[in-house]
Formats: sequence, C-alpha cells, structure tokens
Amino acid sequence: MSKFSRELSVAGVLALLLIALAIFAPNFFEPQPMLSRLASQMPALVAAIGMTCVLLSRQIDISIGAQFGLCSVVGGLLAAAKLPLAVVVLGAMGAGAAMGALNGVLVAWLGLPSIVVTLATMVTWQETLRLWQQGRLLNLPPGLQWFGSSQTSGQVLLILFAFALVAVAAWALKRVAAGRFVYAVGSDAEAARLAGIEPRRVTFGVFVFMGVLAGVAALMNVVQSPQVQPTSGEGFELKVIAAVVVGGVAVTGGRGRLWGVVAGLLLLANVNPALTHFHVQAYWEKAIQGFVILLAVLADGLQRRGKG
Amino acid sequence: MSSSGRPSAWKSALLRHETILLCVLIAEILFFNATGRNFGTPANIANIVRQSVEIGLLALALTPIILTGGIDLSVGSLLGLCAVIFGMLWKDAGLDPWLAAVGAVVAGAVGGALNATLITRFRLQPLIVTLGTFSLFRGLAEALTGGTKAYTNFPASFLALGNGFWWGVPVQAWVLFAVAFGIWTLVHRTTFGRSFRAIGFAPEGARYAGLPVERRLVLAYVQAGVIAGLAAVIFVSRVTEARANAGTGYELAAITAVVLGGTSIFGGIGSVHGTLLGIAAVAVLSNGLSRILSISSFSRELSGILTGALLLLALAAGVVAKRLSQRAVRTS
Repeated sequence: MSKFSRELSVAGVLALLLIALAIFAPNFFEPQPMLSRLASQMPALVAAIGMTCVLLSRQIDISIGAQFGLCSVVGGLLAAAKLPLAVVVLGAMGAGAAMGALNGVLVAWLGLPSIVVTLATMVTWQETLRLWQQGRLLNLPPGLQWFGSSQTSGQVLLILFAFALVAVAAWALKRVAAGRFVYAVGSDAEAARLAGIEPRRVTFGVFVFMGVLAGVAALMNVVQSPQVQPTSGEGFELKVIAAVVVGGVAVTGGRGRLWGVVAGLLLLANVNPALTHFHVQAYWEKAIQGFVILLAVLADGLQRRGKG
Repeated sequence: MSSSGRPSAWKSALLRHETILLCVLIAEILFFNATGRNFGTPANIANIVRQSVEIGLLALALTPIILTGGIDLSVGSLLGLCAVIFGMLWKDAGLDPWLAAVGAVVAGAVGGALNATLITRFRLQPLIVTLGTFSLFRGLAEALTGGTKAYTNFPASFLALGNGFWWGVPVQAWVLFAVAFGIWTLVHRTTFGRSFRAIGFAPEGARYAGLPVERRLVLAYVQAGVIAGLAAVIFVSRVTEARANAGTGYELAAITAVVLGGTSIFGGIGSVHGTLLGIAAVAVLSNGLSRILSISSFSRELSGILTGALLLLALAAGVVAKRLSQRAVRTS
C-alpha cells in the first residue's frame, strides 16, 4: 500500500479536481475542447518520459526547453524545404540527440554537475536560436498540420501515440536491462559499477534519450499549428520537471514510476484551465507551478524523514 | 599562498586561477581597446561599471553559497519580485523611495529565508528548492503586476543612484565596493568563511567538528536574498522602471562569474577576489562585443552564447586541471 502512496495521492487530487470541475463547470468536459487540451499536453508528456529517466539516474536537464525550440525550427525548416516527412522527423530527432550527447559527455565523462552544464547549454542554444531566427515565425507547408488528416483524427492519433510511448517506456523501465540500469545508477552509482554496470554510459545514454524525445515532442507540437514559433520552448523545461516531480519521481534518484508522472502532468495541465473556469487570472500560472513543485518536494522530504 | 620564495611556490602562484584570469582580463581590455569603437572612453568605462553592478552583486552573494556546495537559482527571479514590491511600495503605498528600498531589501531577506528554511529544516536539495522558488518568485512578480504593468516616473533624487556619479565614479559602484568588502571580510577574514568551506568539503565532517551547519547555511541563503533585494533597487534606479521581468537570466550570468572566478561548483574552494575578476571578465567581454559589432541586438545574443560557452570551458578546464595534477602527484 505505502509503496504506491505517493502516486495514489496525486491521482486522488487529480480526481478531486475533475469532480469539482464536473460539478461547478460542467462545460469543461465538452468533447472537442477537451480533446484539444489533451492533445496540446502530449509534447510535454513525451518529454516527461525522458525527464523521468534523467531524474531517476539522479541528474537533471533544464536545457530541454531550448532543445525543444531548436528542434522545432530545424524540423520546420526541413519541412518548408519540401523534404519528405522521414527527413523532417530524422532531422529534428538528430538535432535533439546531438544536443543531448553534448550534455551527456560533459556530465558523464567530465563529471560536471548536470544543473550547471544544462544551465549553460540552455542559454547557449536559446541565444543561438534568437540569433538565428530573430523571433521570426516560420510558415509550414500545407499538409504537415495533423499530417494532412482532419484535426480530430490528428489529435486522437497524437494522444494514442504519446500514450503508447509511455506504455512502452514504463514496461522497458521495469523489464528491460537498460531500464533497470537507470534505476540502479540513480540509487547508488558505486554499487551499480561494482555490479558490472558502467554508470557513465548509462548517464550518457539517458541524456541522449532525453534529447531524442525533446525532438519528438517538438515535432508533435509543430504538427498542431500552421506555423513554428521559435519561442515555443520557453518555460517548457519547468513545466516538464514540475510534472515529473509532482508525479512522485524523487530528485535524489532511483525512485518513481511513469504512471505517477502521467497523473502529475494531467493534474498540472488541468490546474490552469480550472483556474480560468473559477475566474482566477492566468498570470498566476508560473507562481502556482513553482508552489506546486515546492509542495511536491516538501512532501517527498517529509515522507523520507518519516521513514527514518 | 605563502611567500616562502621556493620556486614551486612561485610557480603555483603564477598558475593560480586568479592570476590566469587577470591575464585574460588584461588581454580582453587590450584587444577591445585596439579594435572597438570608443571602448576606452570614460563614458564607456562608466557604462561597463553600471551594467555589471547588479549581476556583480548577485555573483558576490552566490560565492558563499557555492562555497558551501549549494546553489541558488532563484536570485534573478527574486530580483524581479523585489523590484515589483519596491514599485508597489512606492507608488501604491505612497512610501518615500528610500523607505520602499528598505522594504524591497526586507522582501529579499524573506525570500532568502524561505529558501534557507526549505533547505535546512526539511533537508531538501538546494538545486530543486531554488528551481521551485525560481518559478515561484518570478510568477509572483508577474501575478502582482498582471503580467504587463510597469512602475515609472521615479523622483530624480532616487534615479541618481543608478545614473549619477559620486567622486567621479558611478554611484552604484560604491554599493558594489561596500558589499564586496563585506563579503570578502566574511569569507576570508572570519570563521564564517572557514565554516562555509568546511561545509562545502564535507557537510557531515563539518557537523562532527561541531560547526552549526544549519545556522551557517541559513546565513548564506539569507544574505543572498538581502543582496538580491539591494540589486533590485539599483536595477530599478538604473533602468528607471520596475517590471516583473527585471533580472531575467541574471542567475546564469552571476553563476558564470563565480565559476570563472575559480570557485569550485562542488564547493569548498574559491575566493571573493576571484569572483570580482570573473565579474569584470564577463562585463568587459559583453560590452567589448557591442563595441566591435555593428548591430547591437546581435551582440546581446552573441554575448549570451559566449557566456554559456565560457562557463562550460571554465568548468571543463577546472576538471581537466584537477585530473592532471592528480596524475602528477601519483607519478611523482
């Protein structure tokens, strides 16, 4: 029972929020806006898979917002050049993988703290993007939005794809050796090394995986609109980290489950629309996000203390 | 450190981080003086000083924290929140600007105390706590101003702080000097400084040695909040308006200055004079670039890219130097 207490309490809060909305603001559940809201959260969900692995291995990556922005523009430019979809997908994922690999080399092989490394790469990529695009909107060719299908089927497709990825990742983290290595390295890197795991390779792999997923998330965001906004990644990292931490993944590594992260993300995603339904101004979004992160970390700390 | 006169001591003094950084700084100044337009004019030098005071204050505030092996990502956001509170106290509450400034500093202290409480009382990691307050402080600033409101039309007597001169030096530089002297004394001439280093080397060891680890950490985070409040007042006076986005990204520039200055990001090693050199190196670089390049918006982005790259290089160089010296010790 206590094994899942954290995940269950997040799911419980989410259920309470949805029930409150059902009573006080029933039009919140109209199908089409609901589908659009859910689809708009799917890029963050996919990135949260990567961030879960990063935190499980006791690292952090705050450069993913900048990676997300750069991958969006790379994908958008390739698409605008009328290249086939496969090239667009590979280009965005490759750009993400390269940026993730740079973080991985600096953290895993030079032993530098991931917070400072990714802070530095965040600013470097963010300013590179500004210098390169100067804030221009990028028009996409027709036919890329929703992969050329209708909006509703495109949205359903995105949601199914994201949840399929979550299911595969959750299974792999539990049943595949590489997934167990992530937990092992995050719990105790030295013990993992003595058990024959190479912690540096696992750490490097986790950062590359994060970069690839940032690229996938960027594409999932690009196909939802007719234009690419170069600023689309700003604040994305905090949103994803908040979801993962609220979902019960410990920042001290080695503990957490993906389904908790899904609950955490849906909870945070519904706070803001709920606020507008209850007539609270939208400017409070960032403050509430910070407050929720602190609350989740505090709950974690108290739980740890209670155990011993 | 000691002037024993042995050749190895001379060599290590020459290879000290601060010495190398000083040479880099001099090279930067010579290069930009030769290539940049009006780089060496008194007006531009005053400009460099003015533009580096707020980031400099934050870097000084971060030095004791990083010495303890901690980090504070929230100082830039706290600067923004204090700026907004300052504007509100002055305009909405009708306080005298200097009284409002005191209020902003108190708000900074409260923000620092929040970080300190979460880190010491609940034993949470500074990284994730200050990532949360990074978002919370900036969010509160945005919420209080409705995202767009700006406070302007401050009295000229107050704007003199950010734009006037005193004894031929920009007024706010005197504040920076005073704070630098205070932090330098704290870190290098009192037992507090030694306990910061001890905590950075080994927190458990420091505890067993009888140091009041929690109280020292509280001191480190609260002084950072106070200085962030002070920097907010100076920022508002310099740019003549108080807005929620004040100080965005300053935490990175400040951390860069500290790490460039030779303070180890793992804690335990570092100096305040190194941080001062780091501040100067970053300030001269970004101003010098704007003097070379023709389009000023390019130079801001380019200096952001270079700051990030410089930080990574300084970090990597620190690790490589450490490994080489360890290898030298092992082979000798």
